[in-house]
Amino acid sequence: MIGPTCHGCPDPTSTCPPEKFKAMKFRSSAITLAAALAMPLSTLAGEADLTVVAPYVRMVPPGTPNSAAFMTIANNGTSDRRLVKADSPVARAVELHSHTNEQGLMRMRQVSAIEIKAKSRTELKSGGYHVMLIDLRQPLKEGETVALTLTFDDGSMSRVDAPVRKPQALLEAEQASAHGRH
Amino acid sequence: MPTKTLLMALIAALSAILILLAVFWEPVPPRPIARIAPHERLPAATAPPAGGEFTLQGAQGNVRLSDFRGKVVLIYFGYTYCPDVCPTSLSLLAQALSELAPNERERVQGIFISVDPERDTAARLQEYTPFFHPQIVGLSGTAAQIARVAEQYGARYHKQAPDAEGRYAVDHSSATYVVDPQGRLTGALPHASTPTQIVAAVREQLASAASR
Repeated sequence: MIGPTCHGCPDPTSTCPPEKFKAMKFRSSAITLAAALAMPLSTLAGEADLTVVAPYVRMVPPGTPNSAAFMTIANNGTSDRRLVKADSPVARAVELHSHTNEQGLMRMRQVSAIEIKAKSRTELKSGGYHVMLIDLRQPLKEGETVALTLTFDDGSMSRVDAPVRKPQALLEAEQASAHGRH
Repeated sequence: MPTKTLLMALIAALSAILILLAVFWEPVPPRPIARIAPHERLPAATAPPAGGEFTLQGAQGNVRLSDFRGKVVLIYFGYTYCPDVCPTSLSLLAQALSELAPNERERVQGIFISVDPERDTAARLQEYTPFFHPQIVGLSGTAAQIARVAEQYGARYHKQAPDAEGRYAVDHSSATYVVDPQGRLTGALPHASTPTQIVAAVREQLASAASR
């Protein structure tokens, strides 16, 4: 076993005499402790700044009971945030879902939260996370907006009006093909 | 006493490690989304899926694959309660159909086979698929019929346990199977294939049929 290197010794690679090592360790523990105390304070100081970008609800065929809402959530704050709940008056149940592709098998599962890391953004998009609108109370028509209330782990809430429209992937495909024709 | 000093040093070192761990140790967070890995080929099975003829239930009665002989047939397995994956796939398929020239499009047929025949009746499917494109027909059948066709084509699905209200999801594979004008399964386009990729696959089949 290699002994601890001694930064206070003339030869830094030499092993510390026990007394000196002990003193050094106590000093570093004190610094660590101070850091430990200071850290939560700095985390609290940086109030999370969440922005919801480009929300939309997928337009579904008439009579279809379920749909989904997609969006990008940006976290400009210094602490990680979690989307823990979503509500909407248009559906009898609203859940947070994820998709995983396991060798071609698309598995949709309810998740308890969707994380948005500090200084980062999380996309809720087709094939990934979505807010599932289950058992719609009324048909969703293109051009209408759906009210969504998002609740985050810090208790903050965000009210979003998401327009009902075709899926993003399709719009992108349409734009790409329109672009190709010009 | 050297043993006591050594012990003290050991306790100090361990405490320091504990504090360090408490402050700096961050468990690796679970990866938010597994990156969608398109399955280029069907999952390894004992034999590649053979495809072939089937008879299922359309809104106007029985529909056979052979009814579309002479056309390139694109088959997708899904269900109408599906909130994301199926509408996305059908939208991409619809977009591909719109991008084809009219003389190409008339030699193509889309088929949506429900993996949830319990809820998706042929009548319900008739409301659903034309919303995406009039050339996509929705087919249902008995649970046994659907299972047989899925096996023929290499599609997989698992109904999930229902919640308190009886609502359930169905895990399912999301490939689009490409059948040539002779009714032979030629391959599968992976989940989230773009309209451009679908159009290319259709044209490839139309071209090889024309050269025969």
